[in-house]
Amino acid sequence: MEATTEPGPEPGVCIPWEEKLKELPPIQGDAELAERVWRDVDFLAHMCIWHCLLSF
Amino acid sequence: MGQDVEQLYAERMRRYTTAMRNEKPDRVPIRPFVAEFTAKYAGYTVQEVTHDYQKAFDAVRKCAADFDWDAVVGNMVYVWTGLTEAIGLKYYAVPGQDIPAQTGFQYREPPENEAFMKADEYDQLIADPTGFLFNVWLPRVSRDVQPPGEPSTYRSNLSFLKGGMAMLQYFSDFGAQAARLRQESGTVSAISGILKAPLDILGDKLRGYMGLTMDVFEQPDKVLAACESLMPHLCHIALSGADPDKNVPITIWMHRGGVPFVSHETFDRIYWPTLKPIIEEIWSHGHQVLFYAEGDWTPHLRSFAELPEGSIVYHVDRADIFETHRAIGDRFCLSGGIPNFLLSYGTPDQVRECCKKVIDGVARDGGYVLDASAIMQNDTSAENLRALTDFAREYAVY
Repeated sequence: MEATTEPGPEPGVCIPWEEKLKELPPIQGDAELAERVWRDVDFLAHMCIWHCLLSF
Repeated sequence: MGQDVEQLYAERMRRYTTAMRNEKPDRVPIRPFVAEFTAKYAGYTVQEVTHDYQKAFDAVRKCAADFDWDAVVGNMVYVWTGLTEAIGLKYYAVPGQDIPAQTGFQYREPPENEAFMKADEYDQLIADPTGFLFNVWLPRVSRDVQPPGEPSTYRSNLSFLKGGMAMLQYFSDFGAQAARLRQESGTVSAISGILKAPLDILGDKLRGYMGLTMDVFEQPDKVLAACESLMPHLCHIALSGADPDKNVPITIWMHRGGVPFVSHETFDRIYWPTLKPIIEEIWSHGHQVLFYAEGDWTPHLRSFAELPEGSIVYHVDRADIFETHRAIGDRFCLSGGIPNFLLSYGTPDQVRECCKKVIDGVARDGGYVLDASAIMQNDTSAENLRALTDFAREYAVY
């Protein structure tokens, strides 16, 4: 689902991978792995703050 | 797991899901939303089940086994105050700390001039909802979290660490609780995943009810835009907690978006247009939503009927369940409708009479799940809940 306005990072994201990637030296190994794990853990922070709002 | 218990679980799951699909199962499923009642029944204080969720889980399992219900919520005293204290949340009155040990936790809404979001902060929220929550909202709702720009503190750092780890532990243990309910008593975990309507969450946790009611008059376009910006996040969180097997519903806890809290115009212009697409999106993923319609939402039944057939289960609290059934019973399963005051202060005969009336009136063709009108707290009579259970098991057979 897309917002009809122009919000910040998309749902599930706190710090976009693209932003993190700029801070890193050129990735020498598996870039896809680095991206996936970053996104998976970043998702937990998004979940945490939104559950604070919704559930607690 | 014993084969008999697994068979029992499968029968109950079939009964529960068949009813929720608005079809006719073998009998009316019994799915009581028991909250602080479980503490009273299991011999715990309300403080114990609110602050020590393992005791809450234990109390639920005891009730599920003793009453032999079809489905329960793993912990309906959902707000674990150990977690809220770790984050330092200001807005809860904790049993045994702020209020008596036998009183259910309370949500304390701040005065209008101390709302967690100010009237002139809509643009900030709209631009980046997640950033707003971390940078503006959390430092205001927590006693410990320092806002950006302020020196960090030991307690501020700890609140993130302890809060995050506690949440992960709590949610992980819900999985184990569901497995134990299944293995020990063949009981189905009734719901999975949480949703709130954008306007409700704006009123509940951000602007407060008083602030929101002024905003819908003074800056309605901002309120609408804020709700729109919350939509994708709320939808995402709902789906992330949904039952992967698509058996049990995501629950929406409906608070202040209906008459008499807001006008028909606000409902039609803001509440419904920013909730309906979320329900449709969730349904497109194959999940039902349980509308836990707290209060009386009868004036809005026509709007709810716009949703795809079978996409929701509609829980009746203070509304007339027979009128609700006439309005939307052909499209959606209903649940609830047994008044809490009757379960607390009535007699077993009165409870049986009420159950008979409701079952005869709305469950003849299936599509009904037996439950009280609202979550059952520690004023609920165990004798009356036993009467409800035994009567339904005997009478409500198709």
